[in-house]
Amino acid sequence: MTTAALTAGLERIPDQLGYLVISEDGVLASAGELENDEHTAGVIMQMVRTACRFRLSGSAEAPFKRMSVILEDFVYVVTISGQKVFVVKRQNSQHEPVNV
Amino acid sequence: MGCCYSGEDDSSREKSDETDPLIPHPNPVSKPPNGTDWITTSVPSAQTDGQALLTSILTKTAQNIIDVSAADSVVMEQHEIMDKARQYSTKLAVLSTSLPQKKALTLPSLTSQPHQVLASDLVPYSDVQQVSKIAAYTYSAISQIKVDAKEELVVQFAIP
Repeated sequence: MTTAALTAGLERIPDQLGYLVISEDGVLASAGELENDEHTAGVIMQMVRTACRFRLSGSAEAPFKRMSVILEDFVYVVTISGQKVFVVKRQNSQHEPVNV
Repeated sequence: MGCCYSGEDDSSREKSDETDPLIPHPNPVSKPPNGTDWITTSVPSAQTDGQALLTSILTKTAQNIIDVSAADSVVMEQHEIMDKARQYSTKLAVLSTSLPQKKALTLPSLTSQPHQVLASDLVPYSDVQQVSKIAAYTYSAISQIKVDAKEELVVQFAIP
């Protein structure tokens, strides 16, 4: 898959503020607020590696499809496909409900 | 320090392997580089216990010292270096074929449709709140675990 084909779908994600495509060797593509953000790429890669080591009993596969790092105003959503880590920064429109 | 997927049990074996040379030394009787050759390790039976103790301390100390001046004795010829380099690369090529592909293991494929997975709805706030609450309760519960010692941990066996 070419880099353009990898990123075309990411551009169309609703509320996206930026994205990163990372391989074992480094950042392959970046855009928006994550453009050339090597630091975030490094931190996310460490978190992904840690998350992939968790195993539920009896399962050989990683028990998740997507990792979400939720902050007040935005969310980093991360997944892995074909030896590449995809990170998308999305607006977090959900706010704390008012408890009456 | 082990690798992510290496078993804990073989760490001790690896440790001893690390100190062994991959290629046996061509001249094993040459001067050791740590300069311990000037110490006589044999203790004559006539020596007193005190002297024997001192000698053993001296030997131990000498073993811990790396004599930099003695390193001159292990100078290699140019052809020797080339030969060793060739031997090491041959050895490495043989070993690398039997190594497991760790790189492939580090990044599993979580999905074949990354764009759909990333574009799907975010985790509902109520779910995040519930998980945070459970985590906080668990943390609080774990921090309250206490060992209630009823008996002595070390006991004397009644051996006559």
